[in-house]
Amino acid sequence: MKTHIETLKRHQFEVLWTHQQRANLIQIGIKAEQTLPVLTYLKTHTPFVQLTHYSAVDWIEDNEFQLTYTLTNPQTYEILMVCARIDREAATADSLHKLWPQAVTYEHEMGEMFGLKFPGSPRVGEPFNLEGWRDMPPMRRDFDTVKFVRDSIPERPGRQAINTRDYIGAEAGEKRLLHD
Amino acid sequence: MRDELPVLHGVPPIPEGSQPHARCQDECFLGEKPEPLKYREAIQRIKNWFRANSLHVLAYGTGCGSIELRPLGTARFDMERFGISTRPTPRHANVLIISGYLSIKTLKRVIRSYEQMPSPKWVVGLGSCTINGGMYWDSYATMKQLDLYLPVDMYISGCMPRPEALIEGFAALMDKIKKGEANGYLDYLERLDWYRENQKKIIHDWDLPDYSW
Repeated sequence: MKTHIETLKRHQFEVLWTHQQRANLIQIGIKAEQTLPVLTYLKTHTPFVQLTHYSAVDWIEDNEFQLTYTLTNPQTYEILMVCARIDREAATADSLHKLWPQAVTYEHEMGEMFGLKFPGSPRVGEPFNLEGWRDMPPMRRDFDTVKFVRDSIPERPGRQAINTRDYIGAEAGEKRLLHD
Repeated sequence: MRDELPVLHGVPPIPEGSQPHARCQDECFLGEKPEPLKYREAIQRIKNWFRANSLHVLAYGTGCGSIELRPLGTARFDMERFGISTRPTPRHANVLIISGYLSIKTLKRVIRSYEQMPSPKWVVGLGSCTINGGMYWDSYATMKQLDLYLPVDMYISGCMPRPEALIEGFAALMDKIKKGEANGYLDYLERLDWYRENQKKIIHDWDLPDYSW
């Protein structure tokens, strides 16, 4: 797998960082504007032909979204995760629908859940998981879920909630005291 | 129960001196004529007894609780021994089980299915999610209280309830139907505006007809 990353570098793609998570899983960071060329190269010239997963992470502290493309080598089951960071305000990335048709579904979902834009992606703007959603995209980290629920979805009064962390901590503390 | 029922008179023998083609009103009854109210109540009781023993569950699961319906329907717990069976379409079913959490997107489909079911029909709320949101109380996608949107006749609490609890719940529902107290479907028709108002509060892209016949 490392040879393929070296080949990427030799082809003047900028690999910002590499991180080996397991024996068969390596993550690499690339520039967002090189996403499409890198993925096209990986699909056409290396055995990483399968897009197994494709998701977004909201790095609100860095004002960026990270897009992670998980590619698999079907012969050896090696996994290469290609990460690219895009600006959080623009939130626009390249569509992969020409490379892998199944990417459309991921893009569709990310568009709805994170408000990401993939110009040219088919079915963009159609309702998918959320029907009639009027608020900000719910998977963005600045979306206050509890406030949204309190404001817009009626709840049966009298519900008692226990803070799980305190409850289990207290219980564990008691037990420890008993054992001591 | 048999003792409490008023005696329903069969075809009486023709009283002496009466006309052969007398109008079948008062003459049809020998002795004391039963009061119409009691008569109707008796018929209703018989109907309810039949209804309670003919539950047809719509085979439709909304949340994780529906996984408990599979062992209930099959050999291990076998709900057919209580006369409860599953039906694949709402037109053939009269019990709707909301099994666990109900997302707002699914609520729209559930309303459609419920309205298509022939009356009398009953709704069973399964699991704590239908009662107060359960572990999904802070989810942006699920409703928190089922009886605002559909008339619930029986709640079965638990997260999630075991098939034994479901059998217990069905037994309670059957008792309720026999007593004539499970009238959620009438309530839904009477207070349709109130239910509609609640439904439209959380379903923002409302595109259902006035009533899904």
